[in-house]
Amino acid sequence: MDNRSSVSSINGKIGRVSAAIFSVCILLSAVFWAAEGAGSNAGPPEQGFSIAVLPVENLSGTKAPVKDIRALLIRRLKAQGFQILDDESLEKFMLRNRLRYTGGINKAVAQAFKTETGVGSVLITSLELYSEVNPPKIALTCRLVSTGENPVILWMDGAGLAGDDSPGILGLGLIEDPMALLEKAVGRVEGSLGRYLNRKPAGENVQSVKRKFKPETFYRSDVLVSNARYSVAVAPFLNFSGRRNAAEILELQFIRSLKKSDQFDVIEPGVVRQQLLALRIIIPEGISLSDAGALFTLLNADLILTANVVQYEDYTGSFGKAKVDFFTQLIDRKSRSVVWSSVSHNEGDDGVFFFDRGRVNTAYAMASQMTRWVGKMMLAQGKRAEEAGEQGGENKMIEKGKQ
Amino acid sequence: MRMALFCLAFVFFTACAGTREVYRDPNMDFGAIRSVAVMPFLSLARDNIAAERVRDVFINDLLATGAVYVVPVGEVARGAARAEVVTPATPSPEEVIKLASIIKVQAVITGVLKEYGEVRSGTTSANIISVSLQMMEAQTGKIVWSASTTKGGINIWDRLFGGGGQPMDKITQDAVRDLINKLFK
Repeated sequence: MDNRSSVSSINGKIGRVSAAIFSVCILLSAVFWAAEGAGSNAGPPEQGFSIAVLPVENLSGTKAPVKDIRALLIRRLKAQGFQILDDESLEKFMLRNRLRYTGGINKAVAQAFKTETGVGSVLITSLELYSEVNPPKIALTCRLVSTGENPVILWMDGAGLAGDDSPGILGLGLIEDPMALLEKAVGRVEGSLGRYLNRKPAGENVQSVKRKFKPETFYRSDVLVSNARYSVAVAPFLNFSGRRNAAEILELQFIRSLKKSDQFDVIEPGVVRQQLLALRIIIPEGISLSDAGALFTLLNADLILTANVVQYEDYTGSFGKAKVDFFTQLIDRKSRSVVWSSVSHNEGDDGVFFFDRGRVNTAYAMASQMTRWVGKMMLAQGKRAEEAGEQGGENKMIEKGKQ
Repeated sequence: MRMALFCLAFVFFTACAGTREVYRDPNMDFGAIRSVAVMPFLSLARDNIAAERVRDVFINDLLATGAVYVVPVGEVARGAARAEVVTPATPSPEEVIKLASIIKVQAVITGVLKEYGEVRSGTTSANIISVSLQMMEAQTGKIVWSASTTKGGINIWDRLFGGGGQPMDKITQDAVRDLINKLFK
């Protein structure tokens, strides 16, 4: 009898403890969901800050669901509480202003957006890679440009993902549905934009920039001052690779990388394009000093960045490797000379020895790190830049010819 | 007996002789050269982009020496168009003089990419690069320096163990550095 009563009391205790644990779990999950819900519904800091989302510029060279991507972006931004210019108003505006190029906005268009629609900014999206072949791959870049007299890049970010980026144990992490991957990429971009507009710190991990993506060799003139602030215009790059639009894609990568640095004010590429068209400057073999001079004056830029894209290769399916190879030069306004020059070359399996660990599956992800290194080293202190170059092992600045 | 000794001596002496891959004008003051123009390289390889890549690497490494300034490629193209250079990869002495006066350089460098890419021998393959460069003085259009180099290719280890040789970018860097060493020697 005693035994039965003690057993029943133990059972009762266990029941009470488990009920308490269960109730605590429910309480915690409710608090968690409430906090998450509050975060996702948080609106922009400024009341009435509205965004016009331009049609997606397709640089992928393939057919892609650009309308779906735009619709997804708009849906996500609306869910965050941002005001988006409706499609009818945008369409009418584009017709009225004969706006066909959606890869950037010039001063006239930015002014027209402000006066005619009242939007505070324009979201420009470029699709750089889209492949539905298993594992799917996607790369896109978005930037938010202010409207008004002087269009300025307010924010810029992107995402380059492959379905087999994180395969996990037994391939459980593989993403085989292109739409799922697209949602992930859009979610990442939208999250970054949300953080910017809600004035939250950027979630970028600085440590993730790997040393193997440093330029192979570089030249940096003493004319560049490490603690100065420069205004940079990115001139059209030359594309020697087999990939369509590789020059435009790498331009966007550089703009994004330089924008991340506090020392560069990157001029909106739409404004640069407008000036090049106005001056009828065609750059078949790189920018000449006279053309650079004209651009310096009209854009009030301190530096002009040019590059040759030699390789920009992605692969479809599971087998292959991404390859990126480019040569950059930076021309200075005051000295009218080349103040930075570098050669970067990487392949997706560089430094990969075991189980594909550290492998980069998209040219986007690789170029993103390579351009970030170039931006970082451009304004590094002279000695630091050399050290940065030498620490990479093979990335040695040539000392032999120094006199 | 004397003839046999002579032949033996000839064999020994010639065995020690290296192939001269560099020409330097003994009367040229290379220290006076402060800025140069690098013309597009002539490609004899199958890959047409290869010449552009080798040129980019060469320009970058030459700038990185800090010894000479290399005029931007766009400025060289503009100068070549203004000087009416028929084939920028192989300019004549007169064209070099005219071009140099427009873009204000003391020397013009031209190059020929003789080989670039994979070579095969039996079942073995490896990457190879072979480049030759010439430097022409701006005032006279005369060749003052010429050098060539070959890097990569199939060696005994490749034959024995395979492996495909060195990556293309690595041997391109090696070749360019070798040429720059020969220029500043």
